[in-house]
Amino acid sequence: MADTGGDNGPGKKAADKMFSLKKWNAVAMWSWDVECDTCAICRVQVMDACLRCQAENKQEDCVVVWGECNHSFHNCCMSLWVKQNNRCPLCQQEWVVQRIGK
Amino acid sequence: MSTPARRRLMRDFKRLQEDPPCGVSAAPTDNNIMLWNAVIFGPEDTPFEDGTFKLTLEFTEEYPNKPPTVRFVSKMFHPNIYADGKICLDILQNRWSPTYDVSAILTSIQSLLDEPNPNSPANSVAAQLYQENKREYEKKVQAIVEQSWAEVPEEDHVL
Repeated sequence: MADTGGDNGPGKKAADKMFSLKKWNAVAMWSWDVECDTCAICRVQVMDACLRCQAENKQEDCVVVWGECNHSFHNCCMSLWVKQNNRCPLCQQEWVVQRIGK
Repeated sequence: MSTPARRRLMRDFKRLQEDPPCGVSAAPTDNNIMLWNAVIFGPEDTPFEDGTFKLTLEFTEEYPNKPPTVRFVSKMFHPNIYADGKICLDILQNRWSPTYDVSAILTSIQSLLDEPNPNSPANSVAAQLYQENKREYEKKVQAIVEQSWAEVPEEDHVL
């Protein structure tokens, strides 16, 4: 590395004005800020409609529910489960809804 | 006819193929996705080693909110397995969670083989031998391991 640095030495001075910055493009990567992005009940991504809504063509009505434990599921999947057991299927804590939405 | 339960089972099957768990194998029967055949290989370094134990899993339209009915077809000798093959395992009863899939069920049953729970015996002879006479227990297990090989050819299609 030291050798090539030495070779570039004379070129550096000449390159002072070779480039000027004309445009700057920033690229941001993002992901959903949820702990679990797949509904562990139906195994479909929470941001897509659950299996039931897909079958009944009700994609628009399918929303996501977050519990106080921060686990997320499709609201339809979860509402069927809590009828039988009011615990989060992932951490077994009592299920308390924190937020419902998309 | 595709229902949520059937679609979920298709996903379970896909996951089993893409990420096959160690020592278990399962597939739906030819014309009924609600009925599966499975094989659990006896875990290494246990009396069940080398056994090829066949099971059936029967699902209802309430899956995954309700667990399937799982039973061994192969003859078993285990403190928590009834004579008719039914399994006494908490996650298949009161500790069921809709997040389990076929892969998780079979892996749990596989670990139950070497970690029996003597507090809820389904086979009292096996439970008693397990606690009081390990040598005799292992002998009886060895016998059902050998029996499990004899059953292989008829159910070859499962694998």
